[in-house]
Amino acid sequence: MSTTRQYELVYLTPPDATEDALGELHKQVQVVVDRFNGSIEKTENWGRRKLAYEINHQREATYVLEVINGPGAMTAELDRRLRVFDNVIRHMIVRVDEDLATADRAKTRRKANMAKRRVKRGLPPEPTDAELHRRREESDDFDGGGDMPFRGGGDR
Amino acid sequence: MSDFEHSRGRSGGRGGDKDKDKGEKGGRRTFFRRRRVCKFCVEKIDYVSYKDVKLLAPFIPERGKIQPRRISGVCATHQRALQNAIKRARQIALVPYTTD
Repeated sequence: MSTTRQYELVYLTPPDATEDALGELHKQVQVVVDRFNGSIEKTENWGRRKLAYEINHQREATYVLEVINGPGAMTAELDRRLRVFDNVIRHMIVRVDEDLATADRAKTRRKANMAKRRVKRGLPPEPTDAELHRRREESDDFDGGGDMPFRGGGDR
Repeated sequence: MSDFEHSRGRSGGRGGDKDKDKGEKGGRRTFFRRRRVCKFCVEKIDYVSYKDVKLLAPFIPERGKIQPRRISGVCATHQRALQNAIKRARQIALVPYTTD
């Protein structure tokens, strides 16, 4: 009896890896996932990205993200397999279902609270389009969009 | 809001006092514009994803360290989430550990 959880797997391949090599990797992942009765929910290829630091003397890599549903034992096996492949220079598996569920709960709670407050004030529970529009205009001059991050020198 | 303005004004005054013996320190204090609101609360971001480099970038100063909460004004809950996200992003080289 094993519970199904949701994981995100990110792996990095060298920038010179071919489409075939990527397809092969994906197939390998699929095999492991199938063996544990899991399923791949989504596969995203982020393409070539610059690395923040050098890995194996390389400055770029191809990123692939897979969202997988399956049991915990599956991640151990995936981890073991991915470490062996030459084509994978880095990988990471993160469990996401709990965090996403928490975020979802917070969102629904906020929405419910807002609706309650609005009803108390004698307004319809959902903001009307005109209100949303006005609020957007107000928030524009509040933050000024992407204002500069803080200058260095303050964090020592 | 006015409370915040008030406290700022006072700290500026204190800085002014210090100015007499340490001019540089006082000048520095006024240099930083402190943001006392949590960006994630204001924008109602519930889940801080490690994949969103654009979101994380403002909290990573040039040196590559995680910006402390006392400077960025992020609330404790979100700073914790942010910290996790940055550490994950570092592992897959989306964000640097250090830069020199």
